Amino acid sequence: MAVASIAHGSAHGDGADQLYVETRELRLQGFLLFLVSDCVLFSSFIFAYLYLRNSGQGWPPPGIKRLDVAFAAWNSVLLFGSGATMHYALENWKHGNFMKYMWMLIFTIILGAGFLGGQAYEYTHLIVAEHVSWWGSGIFGASFFTLTGMHGFHVFVGVCYLTVLLLQSAAGVYTGQKYFGITAGTLYWHFVDVIWVVLFSIFYLI
Amino acid sequence: MNVDFAVLERTGAVAGGIIVGVVAFYALYKDWSTPGVENHVFKLMLLLLGFGAILAILAGINVLGNFPKVA
Repeated sequence: MAVASIAHGSAHGDGADQLYVETRELRLQGFLLFLVSDCVLFSSFIFAYLYLRNSGQGWPPPGIKRLDVAFAAWNSVLLFGSGATMHYALENWKHGNFMKYMWMLIFTIILGAGFLGGQAYEYTHLIVAEHVSWWGSGIFGASFFTLTGMHGFHVFVGVCYLTVLLLQSAAGVYTGQKYFGITAGTLYWHFVDVIWVVLFSIFYLI
Repeated sequence: MNVDFAVLERTGAVAGGIIVGVVAFYALYKDWSTPGVENHVFKLMLLLLGFGAILAILAGINVLGNFPKVA
């Protein structure tokens, strides 16, 4: 049913479909504005972190070890890989390959959940083994856990969003012409990836 | 048997980074001439995704993030 919907579109509800097409650009602009506002939110935290980092006597502060670059690089690749699979999920949807789309979406969800698992492991290791915490390690702990935690929350929301997309797609909610939810999901997921490129650079590589 | 997890993680980061980088830049190449705002945003994000993959590769081979140990 869903495959047929992709190929031929909805047979009924032409008025609603027309409204959908007419308002698509508006919704796209609204969603891009949302991403820009999220970008401003992250930027303010990132610049606060960079300011604090450069106003001290070296980084990381005395008594705190550098973060584990090898593990972070591996975990980052999981998230970047999920960006690639999400991109191809959308491409397969556009070309009417429903099963490939579903598999790509499932891989994206698994990789996103894997990244969250990696982040949970890193948090646990930092708090238990290295005694670095959000509340008791000064600027370093506060900035690291706030920024990566905020990003992790975005990833968690993204995983939930993509799971809903998966269920909706299986139920035949989207059609060949009517798939803004999938486009928005792809944009959101790419945004989450790109934010991690910045966070990975400033926390682990410089 | 003593497994060095850091080596495994770095190997995974390099291998995964190469795959993701190739996929991202190939997708960018394929989509280069597509019109529309959303496609331009996708292209920008694919470019940054590819850049992220390069960073992960460089971190994996110890070019970036290779800081001297504190005594």
